[in-house]
Amino acid sequence: MNTITVLGLVLFGLMVLVGGKTGATAFLSLIFNFGLLFLAVVLISWGFPAMGVSLVIGTVILAFTIFFGEDNELAAKTAYIAALIVMVGLIIVIFPVEHWIMAQGFSLEDSEDLEGMSLTIGVSFVGVAVTEAILSTLGAIAEASIAIAAGLSEIIVHHPQVSSKRLYIDGISIGKQIIGTTFNTLFFGFFGGFLALFIWFSGLHYSFGSVINNKIFVAEVLMVLFSLMGVILTVPITTWVMTIQHRHDLKLKD
Amino acid sequence: MKQHIQQHWGFWLTILVVIIGLIGVGLTRVDAGLYRQTVAKVTQVQAINKSATSDEFNNKDETYTQWVTVKILNKSHVGKTYRIKNTYTRSGAMDQKYRTGDQVFVRIPSDHSSAVTIQGLKRDTALAFVAWLALALLLLIMRFSGLMALLSVTLNAVLFYAAIQIDLATNGGHIYSLFGILAVIFAVLTLWLVIGFNRQMVVTLGATMAGTGLAVVISLIVFAVTHERGVTYESMQYVTQVPRPLFLVETILGSLGAVMDESTDIVASLFQLRQERPDITANQVFKSGIQIGRSIMGPLINVLFLIFMADTFAMTLLYLRNGNNWGYTFTMNMSLGMVQSLISGIGIVLAIPVASYLASRLMPREVPAQ
Repeated sequence: MNTITVLGLVLFGLMVLVGGKTGATAFLSLIFNFGLLFLAVVLISWGFPAMGVSLVIGTVILAFTIFFGEDNELAAKTAYIAALIVMVGLIIVIFPVEHWIMAQGFSLEDSEDLEGMSLTIGVSFVGVAVTEAILSTLGAIAEASIAIAAGLSEIIVHHPQVSSKRLYIDGISIGKQIIGTTFNTLFFGFFGGFLALFIWFSGLHYSFGSVINNKIFVAEVLMVLFSLMGVILTVPITTWVMTIQHRHDLKLKD
Repeated sequence: MKQHIQQHWGFWLTILVVIIGLIGVGLTRVDAGLYRQTVAKVTQVQAINKSATSDEFNNKDETYTQWVTVKILNKSHVGKTYRIKNTYTRSGAMDQKYRTGDQVFVRIPSDHSSAVTIQGLKRDTALAFVAWLALALLLLIMRFSGLMALLSVTLNAVLFYAAIQIDLATNGGHIYSLFGILAVIFAVLTLWLVIGFNRQMVVTLGATMAGTGLAVVISLIVFAVTHERGVTYESMQYVTQVPRPLFLVETILGSLGAVMDESTDIVASLFQLRQERPDITANQVFKSGIQIGRSIMGPLINVLFLIFMADTFAMTLLYLRNGNNWGYTFTMNMSLGMVQSLISGIGIVLAIPVASYLASRLMPREVPAQ
């Protein structure tokens, strides 16, 4: 058996052990998301517009990630609505920025990997860059919205009569607690994976000016910044959706 | 009342910082003097012709040619204008169309017989604008916590840079110990800045280190048992040092932030819960922790998975359109990201029981209100 299969089995076992049924479905969501991601590339390579593909695949990825990992219906529903709102907001920012900054495709640093490849494939790489940016933010958005919604619903379970105002304060408070480390998840997730590139930049004595205008570096930093924006917006939006939901539920009970 | 005035001041200070930031973004339009490279502004563009192309895999594309008139903004040729021919394709993998108003880097050869060429787009203004937008949102919504988060990321970036310099100076010889120590410093520093130095921070730190450490041990055992079959180190990009240690360090650093994130989420929620319900027992706390962990582990693993995978998009697409089959395309582009995601996932799952257990046993009876 190869390493990926064994690591996958270990992860599956641990997720079931710790998470029970929720763990198993969360693992399933990972597999589905991989399938969706690959499907997105295949669809774009077949000539479907990148924008449409990212919207449709993004909506489905959010659904799989949130509903398969969360067994509390209130938290999941709230998180999903909030995540969709944030995703649409981000697309409105990402689309014009990617067309302005033109950090798409490949750079001279990629030359070795591109040897013998035809680059004139007739698919707009700016569109691909938009797709990359949108899909890479989805995980962070889903995670933040789930964390806030799950925390708030725990409070609602233990304190059914909690007021909207108190709930809002708690939501922002949880948000403030998680924002610092969420930043670090993104920072390490993006830049930890680009250690090799940074060693390349430093080793070949790139000037500060060439680094901040470098295609690969800019594309990478953009993805971090878009994810950050997504997470920041997720905090008040999730709390807001939860407050409305809770007020609605209280009214139904009366 | 005093607090009210402070909040008032905080608000105006934030607005001031945001406005100064925006001015800073504007200044990058006139920073050509700071560059070592020659910077020019595109004053006029004129399309010349377009032609349809087709490659050996029957991919249809279009090639355009345009005249780009540029005015030099710095260095010895300042003020001069040049007319440069630019060729670009519709797909734009390595080239691009230039528009009036763009600032570009140009190379002016010292001998007059060779042509002036455009080296690439100057992207600093757009980048600064996006960074400004993110920071403005952060400060306006998160205020002080946002500032602390920013500080921790900045400090981590400085440490990261220093570690790379040390790694280069030692030629990658001590990469494991270097980045291992760095990972510990990262965790302590980040959690200290985000949570403050208190019991909650110590609990979170313990869970982070245990989770990451266990994930590394388990992965190394799996690597040894499977002889790393299917881990294509040769497909790693931008490699200038021995790939295997580099890959392992990338994986540890990549997962560290996520494990820290999750431990913080769980511990913070549990402390919050205790504040809401002071009479809750240790076992209930543990169960609540597992419950919270269950719901965030899936999304969190997906965060890293999507980050690791999105990077491979352009290259994967290129492989597919160059007549490679799905299996080969996956192996060459996505398998390393997959291994990274799985190892991170293992760390994330293991941190849940550790964090819940530590929180339930080490939490004080009364959590002081914040």
